[in-house]
This record gives sequence, C-alpha cells and structure tokens, in this order.
Amino acid sequence: MKLSKTRRAVFAGLVLLFALPLFVAAQSGEIVLKWPCIWVGKDSKAPAIAEIVAAFNAANAGKIRVEIEPQPDYNAYEQKVRTAIMAGMAPGDIFTLKLNASTKDFYTSKLLLDFNEDLTGDWRKSFDAGAVTQSTIRGKLKTLPFETAILPIWYNGDLMKKAGVAKIPATMDELWAAMDKMKAAGMYPSSQMSGDTNAWTSMIWFSWFAVSNGGPDVWDKPFTDKAFVDAAKTIKRIFESYTTPDAIGAGAGVSGGHFLAGRTVIFSNGPWYAGRADLKATSFFPSITIAPVPSTGGYKNILISRLQANIAAGATADKARHDAIIKFLKFLTNKPNMARLAEVSGGMYAVNSGFVPKDNELQKQFYDMANKGYETAADLEAALGAEATLEFTQQLSALALGKITPEQFCGLVEKKIDR
Amino acid sequence: MTKKKGANHPWIIVYMLPLAVFFTAFFIFPLVFNVSTSMMKWKGGGEMTWNNFANYGKLFQDDTFLLSMKNNVIWALSQGFIQIPLATIVALILARNPRGWKLMRTIYFLPNVISTVAIAKVWTALYNPQFGVINGILKSLGLGGARNWLGDMSTALPAIILMTVIYIGYFMIIILASIMNIPKELYEAAEIDGATKMQQEFRITIPMIRGTLATAITLAMAYGMRHFETTYLMTGGGPAYSTSTMGIALYLKMDALRYGEASAAGIILILLGTLVIVAIRRALGKSDPMTEAAQ
Amino acid sequence: MSKNRAEKGFNPKAAAFGFMKWFTLLFFLAIAILPFLWLVVNSFRTNLELETAPFGFPARLSFENYRNAAVTADLARLLLNSVIVAAGSVILNLVIASMAGFILSREKFRGRDAIFTIVTAGVLIPIISFMVPYFWMVTTFGLYDKLVSLIFTYAAINIPVSVSLITTFMRAIPKELEEAATIDGCGFNQRFAKIIFPLSRSGLATAGTFCFIYAWNEFVMAMLFTSSVKSRTIQLGIRFFTSQFITDNTGMFAAIVLSIIPSVLVYVILHDKIISGLTAGAVKG
Repeated sequence: MKLSKTRRAVFAGLVLLFALPLFVAAQSGEIVLKWPCIWVGKDSKAPAIAEIVAAFNAANAGKIRVEIEPQPDYNAYEQKVRTAIMAGMAPGDIFTLKLNASTKDFYTSKLLLDFNEDLTGDWRKSFDAGAVTQSTIRGKLKTLPFETAILPIWYNGDLMKKAGVAKIPATMDELWAAMDKMKAAGMYPSSQMSGDTNAWTSMIWFSWFAVSNGGPDVWDKPFTDKAFVDAAKTIKRIFESYTTPDAIGAGAGVSGGHFLAGRTVIFSNGPWYAGRADLKATSFFPSITIAPVPSTGGYKNILISRLQANIAAGATADKARHDAIIKFLKFLTNKPNMARLAEVSGGMYAVNSGFVPKDNELQKQFYDMANKGYETAADLEAALGAEATLEFTQQLSALALGKITPEQFCGLVEKKIDR
Repeated sequence: MTKKKGANHPWIIVYMLPLAVFFTAFFIFPLVFNVSTSMMKWKGGGEMTWNNFANYGKLFQDDTFLLSMKNNVIWALSQGFIQIPLATIVALILARNPRGWKLMRTIYFLPNVISTVAIAKVWTALYNPQFGVINGILKSLGLGGARNWLGDMSTALPAIILMTVIYIGYFMIIILASIMNIPKELYEAAEIDGATKMQQEFRITIPMIRGTLATAITLAMAYGMRHFETTYLMTGGGPAYSTSTMGIALYLKMDALRYGEASAAGIILILLGTLVIVAIRRALGKSDPMTEAAQ
Repeated sequence: MSKNRAEKGFNPKAAAFGFMKWFTLLFFLAIAILPFLWLVVNSFRTNLELETAPFGFPARLSFENYRNAAVTADLARLLLNSVIVAAGSVILNLVIASMAGFILSREKFRGRDAIFTIVTAGVLIPIISFMVPYFWMVTTFGLYDKLVSLIFTYAAINIPVSVSLITTFMRAIPKELEEAATIDGCGFNQRFAKIIFPLSRSGLATAGTFCFIYAWNEFVMAMLFTSSVKSRTIQLGIRFFTSQFITDNTGMFAAIVLSIIPSVLVYVILHDKIISGLTAGAVKG
C-alpha cells in the first residue's frame, strides 16, 4: 500500500482535530524567491553572495526579488533541508545541498526542480562537464553542481626542513622514510582522526589509497576488494606509528589544531582551509606545499575531488516562477559573479570563471593542481553515503586499536553499503 | 484518552482540557505518525511504502544498535543511581543553610544553563591525552597519565558518564525545593527528643521527600534513556560505537535519510525506557508516588 | 535558623564530618564552575590560541570577540525574542501543568493514574524524532516564522516534566488544609487558586525554571521554525559563528557568555524570591 494516502489521512485527521483557520499568504505582482542560505554571517562567501543578490534585485525591481533567509550552522541547515523535504515541502525556492550517495535519494522527491530542460546551450557549456555528469542521476538533474573541491595533502615546509626531508615524497617508500625522519626529529608526522561522523582528514588519506589501488571506479567494487584491504593496512600503519596519541576518536578541530600549532607536519583538507585567517597568521604559512598522496597501487595521477555544494530549486507549476528561478541562477552563475565569489572565498567552483588566486599562494596551488587536467575520483563519503562513512569512521578506531583486522574492517563497512 | 468516566465534577474536564489539547497535538499525534512510519520504507522524500517490521528486524540484527541499547540501560541506571544520591547529599547539606549556600546553589545550577556545545568542548579538552588537565593531574601524582580517555573503547563510556555529575544541580534544586517544604516543627520536635542531625535526615527528611525522590529518579533515568547530545558532541558515539546510544543511532539514521529506520529506533527507545523505568519503580516498591497517592 | 551551631570544644567526629561536608560542597562547586570559567577565559582569546593550547590564558586582554558578538548576531533583537519566547512558554506551560496537576493530585476518578503515567512517560520521548510532524504542523497552521510556534512547542515539550513535578509537589500538601477550606465554603476554583496553587509555589518555580532553561537554550526547533530575524532567538545568533567550514569558537564563546547572563538572573530571581520567601514563613503544619 502506498503511504501518501495514509499520511494524508493522518494529517487530515489532525486538521479536523484542531479546526484552526489556515492562513494564506497574500500574493502581489512581484515574484519573491526565498533562499535559505548558509553563506551568511562569517562565511567567506557571504559578502559576494549579498552583492550578487542585491545586484539582481536592483535589475529586476518590481518583478523578481530574491530574499535571503540567513541560516547559521551548516549541520542545522542540512537538518532543516531534510526535515522540510520529508514533511513534504521544499525548504525554499532556492537552496543548497551536499550531493552524495545518501542525499541522492532526494532525487526521488517531486519537490525538486529538474534542470535538464533549462540547462542548455551556453549555460550548460559554462559548467564543468564532469560535475554535471556527476550531478545527473538516472537521467535527472535535480541539482546544479556549484562548489567543488580537491582534497590533497599538505606539507609544513619549515618542519620538513627541520626534520631533514629535502623534497615532497613522490613514492610511498619516500613517504615512509620522510615520516621516520620527522619522528626522529621529535615531530608527529601526520594529523589523523577517527572521530566526528566521517573521520574527515583520515578519510581523505584512505580515499587516495583506495583509488590508487583500485582505480577511479574503485567505489563500485565490493568493499572487501583487495584495493580496500590494502588501503586499510596502510592507514592502520599510519595510525600506529605516524600520528598524534589523541588521533583515535579525535574530531576535525583537534586534527586541524595540531597542524595549526605546528605539531604535525602533514595534513589533509580542501581549499577553504587555506583561507583561514589564523593559518595565514602562522610563520610556516608561506612554506606549505600541497601534493597528491603518493600512489600505493597501479593507478597514478588521479585527484580526489568532490562536489561540495549543489544548488537545488523548488519545483513549481507556475511558469513565471520557474522562469524567475532560472533567471536568477543564470545570473548567479555568470562568469563575473563566479569570479567574484572565487576571489572573496578562495573556494573552487564547477563554473569556470577563469579566476586564478593572486595574493594567496596556497589557494593558487589548489587552482594549479586542479587545472593540471588529471583524472578525478570521488572520496569515500561522497561515493558511499552517510551510513557506510559512519561505519568506516567507527571501525577505523577499532582497526587502529588493533581490535579488528583490515579484512574484518572492510567486511564491516561492506555490510553498510546500500547499493 | 481524555474522557473521564465517573468524573463527579464538570470542572475536572475544564482543568484537564489544555493538557489534553497540547499533549495530543505534540505527543500523541507525532507518536502515531512515527509508529506508522516505523513500519515503512521511507527515505529521501520519495514514496513511502509499508514494509511491516523490516526496519525493526534490521535494527535488531545490527550489533551496534544492540550495543546502543545496552549503553542506554547503563546510562539510565547511572543517571538514576549516581546522579540522584549525589544530588540528594548536596541538597541535604545546603538545606542546613551553610555559609554561602545561596551562591553555591546558583553555581551548582550553572552547567545546566551553559550550552551543551561549550560543555562538550571543555570536557573533550580536559580528557585530551596530550594537553588535558586530567592526565596532567594524574602525571603529577605519578599515576600514569598517558591515557586517551575518549579514544579508548574501555574508558570512553565511563569517562562521559562521570562527566555528567556536573549536572547534579538540576536534580538538586528539585530535592532542595521539596526539603524546604517540610514543616520546621518536625525538626524542632526531633531536636527536643535528642535526635542527631544525621538521624533527623534519615527519620524526617528522607521519608518526607520520598515522592520527590521517586520522581527525580524517574526523570533522571528517562534523561539517561534518551541521552544523546553530550556524547554526540564529544565522541560521536565512538570509538568503534563504544559510546553509542539509541538517540545517536536515531540521529544518524536521520542524517543518512533513513527516516523509517529512525522512527523504529525512536519507538524501541520509548518501549525499552518504559520497561526499565517500570521495572525499577516496581523494585523500589513503596517509593512509587502512584501507589502512595492511591492510599 | 541555625540550630545548635556553636559546638563547645574540639570534637573529632564533628570535625571529620565538617571536613567531608565542605569537601563535597567545594568539589562539586569546582567542577560546576570550571566550564563557565573556561568559557569566560577563552572568550578573550583568539581561535589559534584556543586550538593550540586549550588551557592557556589570553596573551592580551581583548574585547574584540564581544564587539563581534554584538555586531554579527543582531544581539539585542534576538535577546528580546528569546525573552518573549521563554516567558511565553513558561507561563503557558505552568498554566497547563498546574491545572492538570491540581486534578491529578487532588481529585479521584477512574483513569487518573493512567493519564498521569502516560503524560509522565512523555519524558522518555526523543523529541528529535518528532521534527517532521512538528514542522508539518507549524507550516500547515501558518505558524512558520512566528514566535508563537516556538512558545507553543516549548511549552508543550515541557509538559511531561512539569506535570510530574508539580503533581508530586501538590500531593505533598496536607489534605487537612483543603478540607478546612472546603468547610469554610471554598469552591473548586477557590481551592485551586487560594490553597493549592500558592502552596505549590516551590514546585511551580522549579518546573518554571526548567521550562525557561529549555526555551532559552533550545536550538533545533528554533532553527527549523523560523527564517528571519523577527522571530529568531539568541541561540541562532550564537550559531552565526559556525559557518560551513570554519567555526569561530572564541567568538561563539563570547556570545554564549552574554546569553547566559539572563538565564542566571532568572534562576536567581525565581529561587531567591519565590522558594526562599516561601520557607521564610507560610507553611503551617
């Protein structure tokens, strides 16, 4: 039996129970588009987003008005998007979500607008083709790729020099040797963590290992595949010998704090971290170099990257409203606006604006790496979704503590993958 | 449920009406909704389809969920039987009005006012193996001091449970308010009979506040049963699920858009909680305010 | 009220007892005040200082975080909203719970115990699992982005705690008082208004405090049911320091410290005035 009927009956019952008057919003000639938006307050994109919206509203005065509803706290925002959709309402006319194996279930909802018919011609060409393909699920394009990221590892050059490591390790053997030297010099070689819901920094390392062992399509293989077992062995070795004593159970704040404090030499994160004011204030900031994790298997030159934020819109039967939404999104994603966004935030976007960072050397390194034309592959969280990532995180602690073998570890994660 | 057969006074219905309306809207209706969705496949805003008890079956086959259930029982018992005795001791002392008791009463309550986010941050830092104060103290006492309290599967749960004693102020004020309602004459009479203060506490105070203590234990166990936020912020349920609770499992199911399973987890939580609390109340026997009131 | 306080001579048993007493009091005092002190100290530090050395002292005293908190978060408006929401929900909650508590503690009828048990069992419910139905209710009844949605929700969520506390306190009131009043010609409503309600003040104050603290600190529903500053509470202001990738912890701590002050004031007022006032006189056995 289909539920919508039952659900409606339950809800209708409640309405009768209360028999309260319903309020109907008054309609005027102007189309108001609500955008519950996380890029407000202290967010680095906030000033550019505010400018873009103001410019659009000025140009369309009396016809279309985009209204930003400021949403603090990213997790809570995701919760609100989820709750609204589950309660049968679009969270806004425009909103954003992180597209991964879990959130792709939203594509089954009728509340989201399908961009397929609108994303054509030059507008389509302005987007990164790979990102559009990644955002297309069973022929539907219910979100537009917007913010992207590559996830390399970072080296503190000053500490490397102090430890007597002359160059960025290009092979795993070199990496092990370099980390031994760092240890000998009294440093913790790398920032690792198995806390939070995704073991963020260590999940990035693991993704590199898995992809270089099994290729860019490795996530389609069963998790018990040798590529994953070997990756598990490698990450276990790092946890056992080459990280801080608090790594097991640590959250992203602890892992990042160690790098910021100069206690660890190698770190992993996306381009946004390069924009941190407190990182820029450190003495070692100019010495930071980013690089891919050395290949552990047969595949080389594949970058781990992800869609960080996709734009979604509320489906509507009203043609004028639909056109207004598209008009705004076209404006938002035009070249000058995207260049402005990239400039203030240092983030990376699925729309190529031709922007290259000038004053932040580290952010420039991200752009250079992304523009090398390497093949890209998703990270574990994006590829496998929330439940498998949680299992990965929890069992990573058990693996690092020696409570389970790499084979058992992979077997446990496999059970949580929903295919 | 709000029809009161045999009610001999029409005012009873009037007085109960606001409760009936609000409780139905905010508890009964959502509960009915959740019981329905717990028997459905419902994820990601797509169609909802009945799958009967499949969600429950999945949860009961999941070792980590079973571990969460066990942890919740530990939480409920520790909240009821560590928090409440401690809160009672402090309340008994404060009720005798020692110097500065009003200020102390306010300070004891302070942690309940501070956002959990901040509390979790302090305690995560306190337990940190490298720069945490707890390891620092242990080291200076020569008692080791290299343990990763929250990163060790055997110490993480006790560490978080121990931390929650900072919240005793919550129950302390219930108990203190109840003690202060005891007529002073009872103590004066006991004093004349030559009873020591300790004897007065056991002969007068404790029996007089028995109903309140039972309520406090019930509340504390219920809070323990649905415990979620502090652990989620401190360990996320790790390492290796050793601190996971049903509340965390429920939250993470919602995070993964498995709403049907999340509803089932919520229903199991309520049923298990009722079971534990009823069992404890039975075991405590006479302390049950219901049986007391019936007499 | 001190009875036999002055002990003559040295009594080792009393000294040991006194030591234990003060040790207990001060131990819990220390762990209760520690998080607050840590918050205050760190609200004067920078994020780099916090992340690299969580237990240090500020290198220099700077009020920048406080200035930021006041500017970034539109604090005055949010505080006003929080006051309205907290006061509204406490009043609504206490009206509902005291009326029901009166019946549940003083009247006898079939099904009474069942009602009490069911309402109390509400304490067990993980409210987070009710987000979808709550959100649906709020939007369907046109209460979205209105303060009243939060007032109703907070008052309702606290019903189980308040009803169980208030009923327990009302039960402790001696029956003789009520009987005497009935003989004096007090009706049903007067019994409630003149006897039971005033005599259960300490229970009401306690339940009211819990409801206030909940309403003041609640975040998830406040985020879910509102979209603009006209209906948002202080907790959302605090979270403006948490952006997508970077959390300004020390800035957030400053906002938290500011937001704690009103709750402490309410607590002190409710307890010093109401409960202490009660114990000073009033109760006649």
